[in-house]
Order: sequence, then C-alpha cells, then structure tokens
Amino acid sequence: MKRPSLRVFPLIVIGLLAFFAVSSAQGESEAPEVLTVVTWGGSYEDSQRRAYFEPFTNATGIEIETVHYDGGVKVLREHLASGDVQWDVIDMIQSDASAACEEGLLALIDPAILAPAPDGTPAQEDFMAEAIHRCFITQIVFSTVIAFDDRAFPGVKPDSVEDFFDLEAFPGKRALRKSPVGLFEWALLSLSVPREQLYDLLSTRRGLELASRRLDDIRDAIIWWTRGDESVELLTSGQAVMATGYNGRFFHARAMEGAPISVIWDGQLIGFNSWAIPRGSGQADLAADFIAFATRSENMAAQANLISYGPARKSAQQRVGLHTDAGVPMRPYMPTAPSHMANAVIRDHQWYSQTVELREQWFREWLAH
Amino acid sequence: MDTGVFAYLVHKVNIERMANRDFTCSMDRGGVERIVYQISVVTVVAILVGAAASLAAIGFVDAVHYLNDRLLISPYARIQADHRSGLVTAATLIVPATGGLIVGLVVHFLVREKRGLAPPDAILAAQTSGPAPGIRSGLASTFAALVSLGSGASVGQYGPLVYLGAMFGNLVGHLRLNLRHQRSIAIACGVAAAISTAFNAPIAGLVFAHEVILRHYSLRAFAPVTVAAATGYIIANVIFDRPALFLVNFDRVEHSYEFVFFALEGVMCAGLAWVFMVLLRLSANVARRYIAPPWARPAVAGLIVGLVALWIPEVLGIGQETLRFATIEGAFGIGELALIIVAKLVLTALCVGFGFVGGVFSPALLIGILFGAFYGLVLPYVAPVPHSGLVVYAICGMMALASSVIGAPLTTILIVFELTRSYDLTIAAMVAVVFANLISYRVIGRSLFDLQLRARGFDLSLGRDKAILETHRIRDYLSREFTSASDRETVGDVRQRLVEDHRSEAMILNQDGELLGVVRLQGIVNSHADAPVLQAAIQSFTTFDEDTSVWQSMEMLRGFLGEAVPLVDRSGRLQGVVPEEAVIRAYLEIVHDLREEENEAA
Repeated sequence: MKRPSLRVFPLIVIGLLAFFAVSSAQGESEAPEVLTVVTWGGSYEDSQRRAYFEPFTNATGIEIETVHYDGGVKVLREHLASGDVQWDVIDMIQSDASAACEEGLLALIDPAILAPAPDGTPAQEDFMAEAIHRCFITQIVFSTVIAFDDRAFPGVKPDSVEDFFDLEAFPGKRALRKSPVGLFEWALLSLSVPREQLYDLLSTRRGLELASRRLDDIRDAIIWWTRGDESVELLTSGQAVMATGYNGRFFHARAMEGAPISVIWDGQLIGFNSWAIPRGSGQADLAADFIAFATRSENMAAQANLISYGPARKSAQQRVGLHTDAGVPMRPYMPTAPSHMANAVIRDHQWYSQTVELREQWFREWLAH
Repeated sequence: MDTGVFAYLVHKVNIERMANRDFTCSMDRGGVERIVYQISVVTVVAILVGAAASLAAIGFVDAVHYLNDRLLISPYARIQADHRSGLVTAATLIVPATGGLIVGLVVHFLVREKRGLAPPDAILAAQTSGPAPGIRSGLASTFAALVSLGSGASVGQYGPLVYLGAMFGNLVGHLRLNLRHQRSIAIACGVAAAISTAFNAPIAGLVFAHEVILRHYSLRAFAPVTVAAATGYIIANVIFDRPALFLVNFDRVEHSYEFVFFALEGVMCAGLAWVFMVLLRLSANVARRYIAPPWARPAVAGLIVGLVALWIPEVLGIGQETLRFATIEGAFGIGELALIIVAKLVLTALCVGFGFVGGVFSPALLIGILFGAFYGLVLPYVAPVPHSGLVVYAICGMMALASSVIGAPLTTILIVFELTRSYDLTIAAMVAVVFANLISYRVIGRSLFDLQLRARGFDLSLGRDKAILETHRIRDYLSREFTSASDRETVGDVRQRLVEDHRSEAMILNQDGELLGVVRLQGIVNSHADAPVLQAAIQSFTTFDEDTSVWQSMEMLRGFLGEAVPLVDRSGRLQGVVPEEAVIRAYLEIVHDLREEENEAA
C-alpha cells in the first residue's frame, strides 16, 4: 500500500458527486448542452478532440465546440470586455494564464476537482510542481523548437540555434512566430549566452538591444506565422527552409504525414499549457467538470499517445507508450526526453507574465525599425 | 653582536630540533596513537569547518540575490517592475542610501572594531596568536556586508565570504584539541572552503588559503585545507546548484604574437590597479575630512551610487549581467565601456572608502573584464593584425587586475582554469597575470590586504619573518637579574658590588626606581673610589620599552657593546634587563617556529 487510502476517500466521493451532478444536469435539460473550449487548432486540437472532447461527450452527452486561439491575454481581455461571454474553458500558455489571473480575467478553480492517480496518489503529489494554481491547472509540457526542411540541406545539416542565424552556411527563409516570444532567447543563445543567464541578461536594456541587433542579421529572411500549423505548412511547401514551431506539430507532420522535417533540439524553449475558466462564463461548474475529466491520468496519457506533448502529471507520463495510430514509441519525441534536455531553456513564466507590455512594445519597435 | 654566541645558539637550537625529530620518528605505541589522533582530529576539523563555511557562503550568496530581487536592484526584478512607473527610480535612489545608513549604524554600534571585517583580519588571525575579532563583531560585520551587497552598493562578496570562513575557523581554533597551529590551519580551512564554494573552484580555494592567508605550503596545513576545499566543492555541486561565475566559449589563441599583447595588457592592468588603490585612499580621506559622523558615511556613498545608477544602471551591485556582456562581441561600444569602467572604478572606491562593508575582488573582476574587453576592442585600431577575438582579452584583463589587487596570482590563474577548463585561455591569463603582478608588486606592494595590514602595523612586505617578529614583544624575555645602584652611591661601592656579582654593568636608579644611567666596569676601573657614580655613568645608552618588538630590538642592537639592554616603562622606571643572549634566543625561537610550521609533515 503506497498511500493511506483514507486521504483518497474524500476525493473519490467528490469525484462521484461531480459525476452524478453532471449526469443529473444532463437529465434535466431537454436540448443537448454545449461547452465552448478555446484552443489552438490543427493536430493539437485533433489530439484533444480524440482524448478529451469525444470521451467527455460520450460520458455526459455534452457537446464540445471549439474557438480558435493563438495565445496571448489580449483576446481574452477583449472577449470579456464585450460583455457576452461565450467561452467556458481556455487552453492558455502558463505565463499568459498567470498574467490573466492577476488581471482578474480568470475564475478560481477548486483543486479538489482533480482526480487522484489510479494508484491513489493525491493529485497534489502527482502533478508537477506549481502545476496546480488557483486560476489554472497546468496540463502539458510543450516545446517551441527550430525545425528544418531536410530537402533544403542535402549536405551539412544545421544543428544549433547559431545555425538558425547563419544565413551564409544555411541560406534560405526563416519562419518565425509573429510574437515577442522566444525570439530574444534564441538571439542570445546564438551568441553563446548560457541558458542559466538568459533572462537576467534579457532584463537589461543592453540585452534587448543585443537581441534586436542579432535579429537584424536575419530580418530580410524572416517569414512570419501566427497559427501553430502555419509553420509546418511553410516548411512542407518549401517557402521556408527553417522554422520555429511547436514540437508536437512537427512530430505529427513527420511521423503521421511523412513530411521531410527534422527538429533541432538545441535551444528548445520549454513551456506549459494550462486549463483555465474565463471569469463570467455562464457554465463555470460544467467547465470545472470538463477540466476534472481532461486531467485524469488515463485521458492525459491518451493525448500524449497522439501528439508528442508531455503530460504534466507523473501517473500520466508513466502511461505514455506507442502512438495510437502509427505505433511509433512516443517517449523519444517528448520535449522532456533526457537527450533533448542538454541545452533546453525552461521558459521563465514569471518573467513572461510581468513583461507583457514591455515585450510587445519592444517587438513593435523592432518591426517598425 | 657577538657572532660566537650567535653561532653557538644556532647550533644548540639545531641540535634540539634534530632531537625532537628523532623523538617523533620513533614509533612507539604512544607515538602511533598520537599520530592517529592527530590525523583523525585534523580531518574532522577540516570537514566540519569546510562544510560550515561552504553552507554559510551559499546562504550568504542566496540571501544577497534574494535582497537584490526584493529591493529592485537586480535587472531581473527591475524589468518586471517597469510597468509601475516611478517605482524603479524611487528604489534606485532610496535603497542604496537606506542600506548605507543601516550599514553605518550596524558597523558603528555593533562591530567592536568599527569597520567591516575583511581578509586582512583573517590573515592576521592566521599569522599571529593575538586576539581575533569576536563572534559578535564577525556576525555584525557579515550582516552589514549582506545589507551592503543586498542594497546594491558597489562592493564585492568574496571578502565577506573569506572572513565568514575565517570566523568558523577561528571558532574551532579555540577548542582544546591539542593540535599545533590549530587556529591558523582551521582558519585556512574555512577560507579555502568559502572560496571553493563561491567560485566552484576547489583548487583555487586551496591555493588561495595558502597564497593569501597562510603564506606557506607545509604539508600539515596542505592536507586539511585540501579536505576543506573539496568539502566546499562537493557541497556547492551536489547539494546546491549554482551557475558558474563566467562561462565562455574559446577555442585557442590563434597567433603566437598575441602573447605580447597579453603581457602588455597585464602591465596596463597593474596601472589600473594602482589607480584603484589611489582612489581608495583618496575616498577614505575625503570621507574622514568632510563627513564627521562615521555612521553617516555609507549613506552618502549609497545616495551617490543611486544617483549615478539612474544614468548608468551597470554600477549597481555585483554586476553579473555586465560581467557576461563583456565577453559578448557587440554588446558594448568602446565609449560605453570606457564610461562604465570609470564609473565602476570611482564608485567602488567611494563605497569601500566611505565604509560600506564588502570586498574589492568582485569589483576588480568586473572592472578588469570590462577593461579587457575595452583593450580587445581598441587593439585592432592600434595593432592592425588578426587576433583571437574578444573573450581571451576580456578574461586576461579580469584576472590581471584582480590578481594585482588581492595579491593572488596563482589563485586567479587557477580560477580561469577551473571555470573554463581551457588550457589556452589559462596560459594567456597566466601571462597577463604575471606581468601585472611584476609591476604592481613594485609599485603598490603585494596586495591591498598587505597595504591595509601595514597601516595597522603588520608589515608582510619583507615576508613573514619580519611581520611575526614585529608582533612579539621583547619584554617577554625580560630578566630580573641585574646589578643596580643608587644615584647617591660612590664609584667604589658599585665597583665592589659588580665584582661580587660577576657582572660588568650596573643600572643606576633614583629613589623612584627611574633609570638614570648605566655604568660599565671598564669605565670605572681607574676612577676615584669616592667619586659619585653618576659622574661615571654613560648618558646615551640603548633602552627598550614595553612595546619594543623582537624585530626592533634586533635593529637597536646594531653596534651594541654591553651585556644587557635595560627595559623601562613609560614613566622611565626600570622593569628589568634584556641580555643580548635573550634577543638572539627570541629571534631563533620565533624563526624556528615559523620554519617548523612551514616544513611540518602531515
């Protein structure tokens, strides 16, 4: 017996109560209810649909509708300001969720809704450190990586962030997300700044100026993307030879669609996605039920077996195996695989959430420059 | 001095020494037990002192970082508070000044020495057996250093860490463990562990303790100090994970002629070190002259630092970020570098001179690396030949300046080696360091520490012998056996007494016991017996007083012809005499102890 079952008992009761509450809610209403989830589209959303949305609808009869989202706090702020709040659940980058929470844009989440691990380990111990927050529940570890089109470099392949900035050795267009995220980290990494000091240096005017000057070196070669699947398209269509993007999308393109894309793990930027409930959602209880459902170990593992994002709870990580359709082992593609961690940068969420305006202003100025 | 006597005494001491050695070599049961006891106790002491110093060093550095973040000193914290307008500006002006006020009050009212304790105090405690600053002073000084560094004063963290390590060593030094040179070895252990932890460089820590604190390399000290340094390293690496002071990428020195540039850079860094010392002295004088209450001085310095930081934020605190930028090509323009070098140099001198508590090593590293970067940027204009990039010149400058200031060439060379593991970089730094030290040793002296110690009367410039001989008082060798005479006696009385006493000298005293003169037998052999003895007395003769050191007594004995030197107190009363033999004996015993300490086996 690993844990005393007494501590688990109340959680089971709450889980059952929640389940009955959901069932009865379904029984009472005539028309099928709809829950609106705001998420990121493409193969990521597909994996969520198969691992979370469809099973949730099967279990409760509640339909899930999705609204497309490309990150940031601004759109959420504007949606809430419109007065007609349609969004029930939102899948946010942790630093955005943290900033939104401070702005009062998110409803509080009772951590008691989280189910314990199948072996009875309480959720508090099963989730990663700091995953459970009053405003959000962190669910996956994702990574923003640099990938390249294998066809573009028949000889020597690029293998570092420095190569991304080296237009002489590796000529061609670079696809970058049009957002002040990741750009400055890579700019400084390419100048051999150790990852431990990235955010210290980026906190100085000199650091940001240095990053600007480094980005100037590739300014004319940049193609901007905004939607997560665009960066994959830019590579597969041959418009760009190197692109930054989400590791799961690149995995999907390569493993599922056979696209000639390779990932450079050097300087991968590790981040976290979290479930949150916009303040003012008319179905906050239902939204909490959905989050409780989507954060169960077996459901999180099911998603990780569809796309290479690491689940944020240990019992789910232990259940990651072969890809549900393709049968490839998923663990080597996870951002947290030991071989990928040598020069990984863990995104500093506090820094990100406190520097939203500054980063946006810096980015605007650099673009206009 | 009688060379015959001297030769005899040397011979005698040597024989005793050999006899002692024979004794320790004979491995009877008691001897083995004693050796086992010694080795185990010394090892335990080394591990305990090393662990305590290392944990304290980590705690100190973490606390400084915490304060820097909380008080909006670190750029990381400042940028996150940027959207609240005015907050950062207010903090920049208020924090260093308030910190200065706290430091001033703590130092003035809680530290008995009324100044921050620093490596010179550690050196003194390890070198001499005199009383060291107490634990209360040590803790208060460490707290003041924490506030100084936490509130962004331009001072270093390694000085307080070294003292902290020495404080633990000193505590252990008081235990009755029956080990020879217990205190100095324990202090060296603490210092080695502190440096080993702070730089993550155990070999540098080990060498620093010998090069700066102990000033010798005996195996007896070497073994425990190594254990302590390793303990510090293990704790720093295994238990806590701290990023290195600097991480650089460097392949190799491309052209052999660059070594000339490194040497030249070293010479220039020695000049910069000299400027730094002059500024330090100037700033201390200015503080004394214009700000009467000593406790108010750091606050003034803090306010000036804050004002300058509004314009040049790089001057605040230790400047980890600036240190890193110095090794990145394109981070600074030449003019910017010159400005920051001057500002940092002046403000560090200001902060230290005005009484902020902290070291000079970190600022010297920072100013040095900036100067190195400056040199590397200017060089292509002066000597238009290809060179190996900025990094190597930056590191050379860093180490050349720092080694001149703290007088530790080996340590700084080893820090480069341990932090970069680059042989080429180490050799380049070595050349710069050696040339810097060659010059600075002549112009300034061995180090800032030695200058400070000399100002306090402990002069290491001619090596340990003179400094230690200066700390011993000759009155410890006082003899009460002498012939005295009253000033009313006649030559005949005194002559008779000298013959009876088998002496050739008599001390003439008045009723109060004050020394009036010395009479020598050869001067009164033919004098009239009824003449007053005072007439025959020698008026100018050598005397010692209560404060005369062994070193001074030897200097004063030049050309001395008598038997013994009278020693008088402040009011002129005779306390006793010091026979010539006793001076030689004092010298031989002290020097013998030093040689023994330096040559002891484990």
